[in-house]
Amino acid sequence: MISRVTASAMTQSAMRHLQANLTQLSRLQEQATSQRAFTNPSDDPAAAATALQVHAQQQRNDQYARNIDDGMAWVTTVDSAISSSTSLLRRARDLTVQGANDGALDSTAKESIAVELEGIRDELLAQANTSLLGRSVFAGTSDAGVAFDAAFGYTGAPGSQVVRRVSDGVTVRVDADGSAVFGTGAGSVFALLDSVVADLRSGTNVGSHLTAIDQRMTAMLGAQGAVGARQSQIERAKEAAVDNSVSLEARRAAVEDVDSVEVLVRLQAQELVYRSALAVTGRVLQPSLMDFLR
Amino acid sequence: MSTFSGLTAAASGLAAARRGMDVVGQNIANQTTEGYTRQRVTTHAVAAIAQAGRFSTGAVPGQGVAVDGIARLGDALRDARVRDTLAASGFWSTRAVATTTAETALAEPTSDGLAARLSAFWAGWQDLANTPDSGAAAAVVLDSAQELTVRLADGYRKVAAQWSQARATVDRTVSQINTAADQIADLNRQIRDAVASGRTANELVDQRGLLAQSVARMAGGRATVEADGTLTVRIDGNALVSGVDARHLVASGPTSVDSAGRVSVAWQDAGFPVAVADGELGGTLAVLAPAADGGPLAQLAEAYNGVAATLAARVNTQHRAGATASRAPGADFFSIAATGPAALGLGVVPTSAADLALAAPGAGAFDATNADALSQLGIGPGSPDAVWADQVLRFGVSTGADVQRARLSESAAVAAASAQQSVAAVDGDEETVSLVTYQAAYQASARVLSAIDEALDVLINKTGIVGR
Repeated sequence: MISRVTASAMTQSAMRHLQANLTQLSRLQEQATSQRAFTNPSDDPAAAATALQVHAQQQRNDQYARNIDDGMAWVTTVDSAISSSTSLLRRARDLTVQGANDGALDSTAKESIAVELEGIRDELLAQANTSLLGRSVFAGTSDAGVAFDAAFGYTGAPGSQVVRRVSDGVTVRVDADGSAVFGTGAGSVFALLDSVVADLRSGTNVGSHLTAIDQRMTAMLGAQGAVGARQSQIERAKEAAVDNSVSLEARRAAVEDVDSVEVLVRLQAQELVYRSALAVTGRVLQPSLMDFLR
Repeated sequence: MSTFSGLTAAASGLAAARRGMDVVGQNIANQTTEGYTRQRVTTHAVAAIAQAGRFSTGAVPGQGVAVDGIARLGDALRDARVRDTLAASGFWSTRAVATTTAETALAEPTSDGLAARLSAFWAGWQDLANTPDSGAAAAVVLDSAQELTVRLADGYRKVAAQWSQARATVDRTVSQINTAADQIADLNRQIRDAVASGRTANELVDQRGLLAQSVARMAGGRATVEADGTLTVRIDGNALVSGVDARHLVASGPTSVDSAGRVSVAWQDAGFPVAVADGELGGTLAVLAPAADGGPLAQLAEAYNGVAATLAARVNTQHRAGATASRAPGADFFSIAATGPAALGLGVVPTSAADLALAAPGAGAFDATNADALSQLGIGPGSPDAVWADQVLRFGVSTGADVQRARLSESAAVAAASAQQSVAAVDGDEETVSLVTYQAAYQASARVLSAIDEALDVLINKTGIVGR
């Protein structure tokens, strides 16, 4: 007799199959409730490795998005400071041209121009010392507090740059060199305006300063152009970061999350299997010969 | 031929049917007893009395039935297969349970895992690079560094604790094997005596079979039944139980995961080692093996140490390349204890933002080039993150393989046990049929007895009284 079947063997195999069904059911239930395709790396080592990688990339991408927002605040602050400065300088140029009309202006009129120019100088100095969250945006990496002191000396660290990392391997400069935009010491735009004011008061013709003012204007516009270019670079990086976050999330979901509909259908099917296994077991295990004797 | 020989034959039938019913009763009573093997009365027909001399007394029937004994309907081959499959299933299930436990403690890939802590640490440096003047960002970096060291030490401790538990299991299993060996030797003595004196020892053999199964599950080995009825159990080719003698095993070796050497088992009397490659003991020894020999727990502990060492080396090199806000050159960021496992000895050196070397040497006070460089250390091959991800992947693959083998060997063990049970288990229907058969046989024997009795009654009491 190859296979003699006994009631106890049937009971045991029925128990084993019920147990296997229940294990499968509990696994599906765990997937359905946790919405995770796997709980341990051994369930799917390749997916676990991908998930680890994607998690790290997501974290870095989130960080880049934060860096980009911070960098954006810097470049917009720099940009608006430079554009205010150029319009102030434009006004100063107009006043200088006006003040150069020696024949038409008396000393009172010249004095009033001089006073306005002094005001413009102070405003320019304030723009040059623009700060963002306590950092002078034109002072580079210096911690001096202001980019230009009262003697118009540039306090920034020479050649330093403030950069933000916008993606793996790409950094963008987010500040502007104050010494290039405004000049330093005697060569600064503030000293220039001071000398215009002094000439106005002493009666010297100020027309000779127009060339210097135009040069400064060109320098400012050049710096603004560079800042604008970096701003658009940061904007592109932001778009890339948003795109990345969407595609990374899609990849993460594809690896880690379960398809709810599929799991529900499989859960239903498994439940049906379990129920029928229970019903069949109940019918098979009942009868014995004892029931039919006498 | 005796006048009363028919009566004797009928009486032997009665006795045999009674014995048959008794055995059915024993079978039914032990229907659910673990390890019980069904029994059956074996009988033979008694031949007629041998006739001597040259004169035949004619055709003579047999003398009834004789009970030979009570047979135990087991199958030694199937028992041996059960023991073999149990040894394999014991080995792989022990390994699989150990590796899945360690894997659950990894908590990868979730936000509680080491990989997430590493990512948070690197991200902290980026935030600090954005705002080098912010004390809050510096505190976040120092905190996440602290958290990272705690997570590393915690992971290592969990592995070490699991190793120590497994080590204790070795001692426990060895003493269980020794006890079982003693019991088998004792049963061998009883069975040998019973067999020698013609008694049945079926129940003792059942008990011994159960013990042999549990020894196989614990330590593998081979068991063979000898001619005198005793069972010889061999592990690694040497006898654990031979006849009525049992030998004992003894375990020795390191008691913690960070000590060198390997846990081994030897014969207590002879002292030479036993290569236990099967059963739960073999599985536990494989789990406890040193990392170089593929021990999963030791490898995991080594991975924690490797991550700690790589992290400290890389971060320290980069941190020393920078300068602090006061333009002093950077010092070590992580310290590693000179002795003991690196994962446990990892500490954070800087205590405040002033100790952090964020700037490149010679750059402005708010320069954060070095902080940015530090934040990039987690990327690329050889980084602590890559070392860890690689370890998680390899551990996952080997755990998956262990679980798969455990499942396979388990189903082989189940199949072998079913095959064994298909021969040895008691079937209620079959026993009922036997019971009814023996009952009918008993009734029929009784009828034969009374028929002969009536016939003799006629012969003795009614003969020779015609016409009286």
